[in-house]
Amino acid sequence: MIFAGLPFAQLVAVFGAVGFGVLVLYILKLRRRVVAVPFSPLWERILRDKEATSLFSKLKRLLSLLLQLALLALLVLALGDPRAAETLIRGRTVVVLVDASASMQATDVSPSRLAAAKDEVKKIVRGLGGADRMLVAQMDAMVTPLGPMTADTSALERELDGIRPTDARADFPRALRFASDVLRGIDNGEILVVSDGALGAPSDSSGAVHLGSAKLSYVEVGRSDRNVGITQFSVRRYPLDRSRYEVMLELTNTGTAAEDVELQLLGDGALVDVTKLRLQPGASLPRFYPQLSGANRTLEAKITLVDGTHDDLPADDHAYALLPERRRAKVLVVTAGNTYLEAALLLDEYLDVTDVAPAAYPQALARERWDTVIFDGATPPEMPKANALYLDPRGPGSPVKVTDPLKQPGFDRIDRKHPVVRLLALDDVNVALGHKLVAETGDKVLGASDGGASPLLVAGTRGGYRFVAVGFDVRDSDLPLRTAWPLFIIGCINWFTDEDTQYLSSFRTGEVWRIPVAGGVTSATVRLPDGSVQPVPVHEGRAVFLGEQAGFYQLTAGEQQKEFAANLLDRSESAIAPRGALSVDGRPAGPVAGFRVGVRREIWIYLLLAVALLTALEWATYHRRLTV
Amino acid sequence: MGLLDALPWRRDKKAVSTKEDDLFDETFQRKLEYLALVSRRVFAGRLRAERRTKKSGSGVEFADHRDYQPGDDFRTLDWNVYQRFEKLLVRLYEEEEDLAIYFILDTSASMAFGDGQKLRYAKKVCAALAYVALANLDRVTMVTTRDRVMERMPETRGKARIFKAFRFLRGVQAEGTTDLGDALRTFVAQNKRRGLAVLVSDLYDPLGFEKGINVLRYNKFDPFVVHVTDPAEGHPRLNGDVLVYDCETGDEREVTVTAKVLARFGEAYSGYLAAIDRFCATHQVPYVTAPVDVAFDELILRVFRRGGFLR
Repeated sequence: MIFAGLPFAQLVAVFGAVGFGVLVLYILKLRRRVVAVPFSPLWERILRDKEATSLFSKLKRLLSLLLQLALLALLVLALGDPRAAETLIRGRTVVVLVDASASMQATDVSPSRLAAAKDEVKKIVRGLGGADRMLVAQMDAMVTPLGPMTADTSALERELDGIRPTDARADFPRALRFASDVLRGIDNGEILVVSDGALGAPSDSSGAVHLGSAKLSYVEVGRSDRNVGITQFSVRRYPLDRSRYEVMLELTNTGTAAEDVELQLLGDGALVDVTKLRLQPGASLPRFYPQLSGANRTLEAKITLVDGTHDDLPADDHAYALLPERRRAKVLVVTAGNTYLEAALLLDEYLDVTDVAPAAYPQALARERWDTVIFDGATPPEMPKANALYLDPRGPGSPVKVTDPLKQPGFDRIDRKHPVVRLLALDDVNVALGHKLVAETGDKVLGASDGGASPLLVAGTRGGYRFVAVGFDVRDSDLPLRTAWPLFIIGCINWFTDEDTQYLSSFRTGEVWRIPVAGGVTSATVRLPDGSVQPVPVHEGRAVFLGEQAGFYQLTAGEQQKEFAANLLDRSESAIAPRGALSVDGRPAGPVAGFRVGVRREIWIYLLLAVALLTALEWATYHRRLTV
Repeated sequence: MGLLDALPWRRDKKAVSTKEDDLFDETFQRKLEYLALVSRRVFAGRLRAERRTKKSGSGVEFADHRDYQPGDDFRTLDWNVYQRFEKLLVRLYEEEEDLAIYFILDTSASMAFGDGQKLRYAKKVCAALAYVALANLDRVTMVTTRDRVMERMPETRGKARIFKAFRFLRGVQAEGTTDLGDALRTFVAQNKRRGLAVLVSDLYDPLGFEKGINVLRYNKFDPFVVHVTDPAEGHPRLNGDVLVYDCETGDEREVTVTAKVLARFGEAYSGYLAAIDRFCATHQVPYVTAPVDVAFDELILRVFRRGGFLR
């Protein structure tokens, strides 16, 4: 037993001083109320009987004094805040990682696994000892501590109530690193993981997580594994027929029983296709829908069980995608006449092409806004405020410096990652005469001759607008005779207008999304599927955001508005079978122990309760004249 | 006076004079007239001053015979008896005389306890009975006693003298201790003529109420006890730790008053009243309890019904 409040010597002093006061008060006779009576012998008759019990009266008085001293002793002890020595030594520091990943939305335990997890943690919170402290953190794609390390049970319960489920997978290694960082240098630390166990391996690119001396405990939540989910979903338009699109999706049955499901495909909210499928246990079924039409913007996939029941995880029964926006790009071609170019532009019916002679270029530029301007052998004195393709640029108006002529250059080096040239076979293109282009910082050399020393094809950004420069006249090469030529032209225009074949129809929740925004924009806001609006930072021309909800998002950056979709699409999250055991750093997680609900370890509370009880007893006996 | 007597809450120990001005007002006097009438109706047929004493004397009503003693008046010899039995016997007659009535009013401090209600009540009772007695042409004497005889209203007679009695009673104050035995010994020594002695008192005598009554009995007085009581004294409103002191003697006792103690006090009080009643019944002393919450005229009628006061 030790005293966490006043030290023992002070307690003795306080007890001595106040006890002496109590004793003096008992020794001093209380002044009685003086009352006259007409005939005292009548009272004496009664008091004669009472005197027979005077010894008992003295005893009662002594008992009363002892009772007062006992009350005082209890109060003084309470001041000392006595605690069992082992309680103080074993005061724990607990970091609770509450899994809020998508699988915790499973409804196999009512109302959901996350709610059950909160209830479990609340029980543990109520069983916290007087010296224990706890920190509650939400574990999803991020780790979010919900409050400071505290022993305040009501604050902890409030924090728990604030946990909301996400449609993302849990980043278990990050959460473990956070917890071990919090507990670093703290004795008797404990990491408590409350989850269904669908957490993946406790290691990441930095390697396996080491917990140090912290104890690891695991509270398992969930009991069923019945689930069929959409684990892949993608859609794209055909590059040459943008009115049509194709869809690829994959369904996975992560349960242990075969399931009959009905798959619905909706375009712009209207039903496009319905298919009934049977999925064997553990099987994944990819589906490919080519040549679809009828949807302009949004595409959704839904699955329901044929027998009318529901699986245990609704979060992966719905997937969303956005088709790339389909609009006519306005293209201004400044040329003295180039049949190859005009033929290539005819291939895309969604291009609105206007040909002008170089002399008429200023008027055409001023007349309206162009998505793309193609300069064929003509270089204006300054760059237009539009994306531009320069074929054989010359002079000071060129976006890149044009230097030495090159005889019979070739594409020795090609940037295969760039969307403009990714699908093109340029290696054997023959060029009679070209000019070396000098790329500036930030520009990308898409193709170069002489082992990369002489750039021939350069892409970049000037004044917020993109450009591609080709360092030769295409008519001096065999490029127009190749399949790569029209694809190159359309690839440039798509890159300019963001209609990229690499267009992502949906993002994956729990990952950091980098969404390109218009140049010069420094901040943006995003409207989430639940309707809330959040500001997002813009870094290097991209809005950076970590989304954790599945559904449609809307990004507003300056005057620009972009929509995009996000999906869970995670087979490991769809596999909701709870894991009975958890192992980290080669150590299995143990069960939770030592949190007894309803038992407070502060002895002073019980001492005060005893004081209250004794006071009530004294009050009752005094008013019944038992102790006077 | 002791130190305790100087305390403010002990001031009530001082003499308490009753509210004299309205004590014997017109209403009271009208009630006295009524009581006198009622008394005549109750004792109808009796003549004035026709009170027979136990003394044999010169009356006309034969009482008894006794042996002749030399020196006796020959006229009193009963010659008929001598003729029949040859014995000289003297005829004895009951002497007729007016009765002497003594009102002995206890004026100790206990009679003024509280607001002096008992003393006021006792004065009214004395006045009422005195009026009836004076109306019957009896000789009325009043004395006040504490531990000795204090004041005295000389013997008086006639209805018109009632105001003298009023004046006397108005001047009476209550204080001091009670010793009926001593006081009444003095009283009997001062009053040779025997008669009816109406003792009006609360009988709170530390030395025993019996002593005073016995003194009257032993000295051939006819005691008549009017016991003035205040029912509230049997149920004192006390609670908690108190120091009780006797308003006459100043004796102090520490008492922790509980409901149980109050109940036992009530029993003791009732027992005390019962003891007085029992004593008077045993010794054939007329006894009337006079609770202060009973109207005094009703009490006077009760006295008449009880008998012993008017014969």
